[in-house]
Order: sequence, then C-alpha cells, then structure tokens
Amino acid sequence: MKKLPIQSKNFIYEAVKYLAALSAALLLGVLIIKLQGQDVAAAGKAVLFGAFGNISRLGNTIRWVTPCLMTGIAAAVSFRSGIWNMGIGGQLYMGAFAATAVALYIPLPQTVAPIVCLIAAGAAGMAFALIPALLKRFLGVSELITTLMFNYIATLLTTYFTKLVNGISANNNSKAMATPLIDDRYRLTTLIPKTNASTGIFIAIFFVVLMYLVYKYTIMGYEMRQVGSNIRFARAGGVRTNRMYLMIFLLSGFIAGLAGGIEILGVYGKFTANFASNIGWDGIMIATIAANSPIATGFVGILWGALKSGSLYMEALTETNRLTVEVIQAAFVLFVTIDYRGFINRLRENRNRNAAKAVKGA
Amino acid sequence: MNAYLELRQISKFFGSFVANDKIDLAVKKGTIHAIIGENGAGKSTLMNVLSGIYRPDEGDIFINGKAAHFQNPTAASRAGIGMVHQEFMLFPELSVLENIIMGYEQTRVPGIISKQKSRAAVDKICKQYNFNVPLDAKAGVLPVAMLQQVEIVKVLYHGADIIIFDEPTSVLTPQGIEGLFRAFRALTEKGKTIIFITHKLQEVLAVADAITVLKDGKVTFNTTPAETDEKELARMMVGRDVLLNAVKTERKPGETALSVENLTVLGENGEAKVKSARFSVRAGEIVGIAGIAGSGESELIAALFGLAPAASGSITLNGKHIEKLSPRERRCEGIGYIPQDRNAEGSNRTSPIWENCMMGYHVAHSSKNKIFIDRKDIYGFTNSVVSEYNVKTGSIFSNVSDLSGGNVQKMIVGREFMQDNKLLIIEDPTRGIDIGAIEFIWNKIEELAASGVAILMVSHELNEVMEVSDRILVMNSGKLYDAGKYGELTEEQIGVLMMGGQKE
Repeated sequence: MKKLPIQSKNFIYEAVKYLAALSAALLLGVLIIKLQGQDVAAAGKAVLFGAFGNISRLGNTIRWVTPCLMTGIAAAVSFRSGIWNMGIGGQLYMGAFAATAVALYIPLPQTVAPIVCLIAAGAAGMAFALIPALLKRFLGVSELITTLMFNYIATLLTTYFTKLVNGISANNNSKAMATPLIDDRYRLTTLIPKTNASTGIFIAIFFVVLMYLVYKYTIMGYEMRQVGSNIRFARAGGVRTNRMYLMIFLLSGFIAGLAGGIEILGVYGKFTANFASNIGWDGIMIATIAANSPIATGFVGILWGALKSGSLYMEALTETNRLTVEVIQAAFVLFVTIDYRGFINRLRENRNRNAAKAVKGA
Repeated sequence: MNAYLELRQISKFFGSFVANDKIDLAVKKGTIHAIIGENGAGKSTLMNVLSGIYRPDEGDIFINGKAAHFQNPTAASRAGIGMVHQEFMLFPELSVLENIIMGYEQTRVPGIISKQKSRAAVDKICKQYNFNVPLDAKAGVLPVAMLQQVEIVKVLYHGADIIIFDEPTSVLTPQGIEGLFRAFRALTEKGKTIIFITHKLQEVLAVADAITVLKDGKVTFNTTPAETDEKELARMMVGRDVLLNAVKTERKPGETALSVENLTVLGENGEAKVKSARFSVRAGEIVGIAGIAGSGESELIAALFGLAPAASGSITLNGKHIEKLSPRERRCEGIGYIPQDRNAEGSNRTSPIWENCMMGYHVAHSSKNKIFIDRKDIYGFTNSVVSEYNVKTGSIFSNVSDLSGGNVQKMIVGREFMQDNKLLIIEDPTRGIDIGAIEFIWNKIEELAASGVAILMVSHELNEVMEVSDRILVMNSGKLYDAGKYGELTEEQIGVLMMGGQKE
C-alpha cells in the first residue's frame, strides 16, 4: 500500500505528541519527588530494576501486564465503537467471583478445570454487562451512568457472596472477607517459578492480537469501527447497529470478566472482597492513551504493568511513595489527551493576526 | 460613489488554504447586494468575517467611512450588522417575543425583564416594517416562512442596519420567496442595506441591485442585473459554460417496481407525519417529490428504506412485501439510498474513501466472503466509483474529510449508483454543491433511469424536482398530491400545492 504524505505527517505528529507527553509527565514526577526531598535517581533506578531487574522481577511485571492488557483491550473494544463501558471494574469482579465459585463448588478434572473457570468468568462479566446494555437499548438509559453505578453493585454484591461462602455468622471475622483457597488443579500454570506470572499473559496477548486482526481484516471489525465513528452512516449502509451494539458491549464485558478470572486463577487463588480496586480504571486509562487501537493498547499495557510492578518495588526499597508513580501515570493520560493541534493552530492564527497588525502599523 | 459598507483587501487563511484572497467589496446604503459563488468559493467565510465570527488576517472593514474591527459577533451586532442564518437559531419552546428579545431584554429595574417595554419596542419595529408575527405563539409551532420573519425582526430589534441573509430561499416555497423579496424591498425603502448570499441565479436577477461573483476566494465579477444574464453569471461562477437544464431522453417505463399503499408513519410524539401515502414508481421512471422541509418527506423516505417503522400500510418492491425488512435486508433486495445529509449519514469523514465506498456494497453486492474484507474486490469497486464519477482525489486511501463537498457527494452517488440496484431512493442529491457537479449528477440519474432503474427522488429544490422528474408528487403536511408529468404544471402551480392549495 502506498504511504501518503498526510499519513506519515500524522504519524510524526502522534509520535512527538506521545514523547512530549511522557517527558512532561516524568518531569512532573521528578518535581514531586524533589519537593518531598527524596532522591530522584534512586527512585528511578528502583522502578527500572523493579520492573526488569531480574527474572523474578520480570515475572512480577508479567503478572501486572496481564490485567492491564485485558482491561485495556476490554475498554478499547467498547470505546472504539462509541460505547462508554465504565463498568470494566465491576465486570471484572463478577468474573473473578464466578471463577472462584466454580472452582470451589464444581468438581472438575484437571484438564478442563481452568478453562471451565475462565469461561464462567467471561460469562459472568458478560451477563453483568448485559443489564446496562439492555437498559440502554430498550429504555435509552445512558450506559455511562449505569455501568459506573454497577461497579458499586459488583463490589458490594461480591463482598456479600464472599460472606455467604464463609457463612453469614462469620460476619465479624476478618478472614470472612476472603473465600477459602481454590484447589491447585483449577489454577493457571505458573510461567516463572516463585512469581505470579501465569499463562494468563498468553490469553491477554491473544486478545490484543485478535482484536487487531478483527479490526483490520474482517467485515465485522470494519462494521464495529464504522459504528463507532458514525453510527447513522453505518445504519444507512445496512449495518445491524442494534445487534452490533449489544455484541460489542457483551464482548467488552466478556473480556473484563475473563480478566477477573485470570486474576484469581493466575495470582490470588481465592476471592478477596475489594481485591482489585483500580484495575478497571487502569484499563480505561490505557485505552484512552492508546486511542483505542489494539496494538497501542498492547504497548501502553506493557508500560503500565511495568510501572506498576516497578513502583511497588520502589516503595519497598526507597522512601518514595508508590502514589507518585500513579500521579505520573494520570498526568501522562492528561497530557496525551490534550488537542495540541487545535492549540497550535490557535496560536498560529493569533501570531498571523498580530503580524498583520504590525505590518499595518508600520 | 460612496459606499456604506466597504471591505478593502480582506484575506482569510486557514493554514495554507486561502479562503478569502484580497477581497474588495463596496455596498451602497439602501440596496440589495447579492453575493454569489459556488460552494467553497469563500462566501460563507466572507460573511463570517463581516459578522465578527472570524477575524480577517488582512484587510479592513469600513462602515460609513469609519474603520471597524470586530473582536466577536456581539461587536459586529453593535456596529449594526445582523445576520439571518440558514439554520434558524430559535428556541422552539419559547414564545416569539422571548426569542426576539433574548440577550437584549428591556428593563425598568436593572436585572428584571420588563415584558411590556420589550413588547412595545418589538411592536414598533413590526409596524414600521410591516411584519405580522404572532409574538405570543411558541416558535416551535410556526411554519418556516414565519420563523424567517421572526429572525428578521430579531436582527432589526438588535439594531441592524446591514442585514446579511445566508441562502434564505432554500427553505421557502415560491410564494414564500415572493414574500421574502417583498420584505427585502420594504427594508431597503426604509434605508436598510441587504446582503443576500445565494447560488440561485434567477433570484439574484429578480431582486438584487448589485451582484458580486466570488470564485476561489477572489472577486471575479461585479455587475448589476440589467447588465448580465443567467448564462454569464453561471460562467463567471464556474469558469466555463454550463447547462442549466437536465437532458431528458425518451424512455419507456417498464413494470411497477415500487408500490406504496396507505403508508402511515408516526413522528416522535406519535403524530402522523405521513398520512396514508399511496404511489408507485415504475422501472426506468424518475418520480420526484417536492415539499418544503418538515412536510413529512424525510419520514416517508426513512420508512421506505427501513430506517423508521411504518405504522401501517404496505411497501412492495417488484411484488414482494418489504415493509418489515431492515435497511440491510432492503439493500439486499436491491434498494440503494442516498441520504440528505452527506456528512452525518452519507459518509464517514474520518474514514478513507475505500471504506466509505464499501459501506452498503459490502452488505449486498460484494463477494460471497462475509467474514473477511475482500480487498481486491472493494478496491476495484472504489476505483471504478472514483473514475466513473470523477471524484477528485489523490488516492482511495485518503480520508473523506480531505474531499470537497461536491466530491463527497459524487462519491456517495457513485457508490449507490454503481451497485446494480433496482430502486434508488435519493434525497437532495445536489444540496450545496457546485453547478458543475449538479449537472453531472443530474445526467447520471437520467442515465440510470434509461438503464431501467426505478428512481424516487425527494428534493427541497423545486427546480431540481421539475427539471429531473418524469412525474412529480407534492408533499404537504404528510399528504401526497399529484402534480402531473414533467413540464405539466408551472412553478407557481406546484408552489400552491406545496402550501396545501388545490390543483385547478
């Protein structure tokens, strides 16, 4: 395919934008660390070592990259088609609990155990996304609001379920906030011994690549993109927009639920109430930075996971708080989403006008 | 000659694009000055400069000999320049009076609106210029022609001496246009100055005192109606001779293709927008529907293509009932559709041309592979659309947003016309595009009909319906009326039908 000058110009603009945004966010981070009177170099070194320093640190990074990729792609799939699924966190909780429940109550042979658990997790996330989808489809309720609210329902509901598992009378016991451990045969294989890196990463990479291929090569992906950028155009062109809407919403919910299942089967081995307070939002941030492109979601997801793993290590090793890294991440999102082109055009217009005035004055 | 409003060497750039290139314009007080040009000639930019929406990059504006620099639209309004936009900017839920005084309320006690004082001021203006607008009616219930009068009263109330009308006749019936021109004359008699932007040449010749032609951002011609004619104006606008009539060939219509019986379509609030419509279109026949905006024509089209449900009645295509089918299924039955709004519905501006050409084609006519995009087939189809319909573009991979309006329209028309359909439903096929492209699309419609395709066209340009159609229907308040064959009725007679009168 012939490359057009406009496209390559666009690519350079995008690349510069991302680099500038990242540098600005890092600069802000340096400033914050300095202000607290701490050692920037030590903190930076700790983050880097914490992310990639040795094989076990790398394993830990893989552990965090997995949910980042999963929730990132779940968000990207829905946002790309103009569906504001803010309930990725909630769907993830439902998926996580469903996987735990299957592992606790349904005896399964080792060969199929993790797969059945994961399917249950995906189905639970999907079912939880179905309610807002139907509310939107038939009653016109904004999915932005419902999915946001459904996050609370999910955390509270799974907390309640956890208590049910332990018996309601055990209410005041702090252990009641987590289910018993699931049997090992239900768990995903560990990739790197003594770390939480599991085969879940392959599932995550599979979805990133799958969505890339779907968007690029299939009719369905084409229709999903068109629904996202101009739904009336898609409808007039014969795209079954209602069916498409439901399908995309459910797919997003499925991936989010699956992410929850992987967390349980790959990392924790039991469901703890409120175990993943931020993962859903991470996915939304990642998709936003990646502008909903699957490949970019892959890269940003890796960066996000590495930062998470590195910052946890840094916190243990230096005085700098892990929250600093989260501030840097949030600032990065902010800087990337600014419309620099519009800003530059406005500046240029002002300068032209002033120049014109100056000429006249002279 | 002492001009009341004078523009000297006005230039406006958008990046490297020159929208206005050193424009000089002199408008005398108390005259109607028409500005004509094709789409993209810079008319709208110039008017936005004049009304303070844009600031010029170079050049000066003089009003009554004094230099004027507008920082924003309010400043222009204070300097006595008012604009009547193409799309009316009124609040449907508020009364006409409230709409008129919005932002310029009269008060007795600061901060509290005095309705009586405001009403008195508005009444005075209505009397002075002979406008008869119902001040207490809700704006939402009034017909378009009346809303336009409300807009005029509004700018007069704001103290305008120079009133800019942006394509004011596109929403009016022939009789409504007469009324507007009477208002123009009444205003100029009282010393107001009118700038009239249009692309309809007959209107310019009928009403203007002076004419300025814009082409590619430059003034190419200054004249008066007495010194010129339609042909010359068209040539100055386009840069070559153009046919202003559609070429019609002798055709023998075949079997009935589309047949509509007792079709009723409901609007958002459950009111009947289309009332028991009954008509048919034969293969190889062009049926045109004329009607002012809001007469139920968009609802009729939406129901015919399956974008809105039919409350009752039947639609058949070659004898097969299709009223229950989705747009996708109707496309598969061989129906093509060109929507009225090419940017909102006809295309996706953020997608490349090939993805735009693929839409619809991929449902009904592309290869049998329904899972993967058949690039060879789609690119081939796109290339043939681009070459057959003269879409000016460097590559089928450039975005639609890089095309001009006329080229986008040609792409959409080409996409629907080249799909081997049995019936084409077309809405406003030439809205807002230049004369050259209009001519081209009219000829293509004719060609397609000659090859045996049934064509149903709705247009808000009465001229277009009259030029292109073999048979004309008129829509008024949801009902369809027969307006005879090509050339049977005059524009005035059709205009009467559009307003709900009877054929004599």
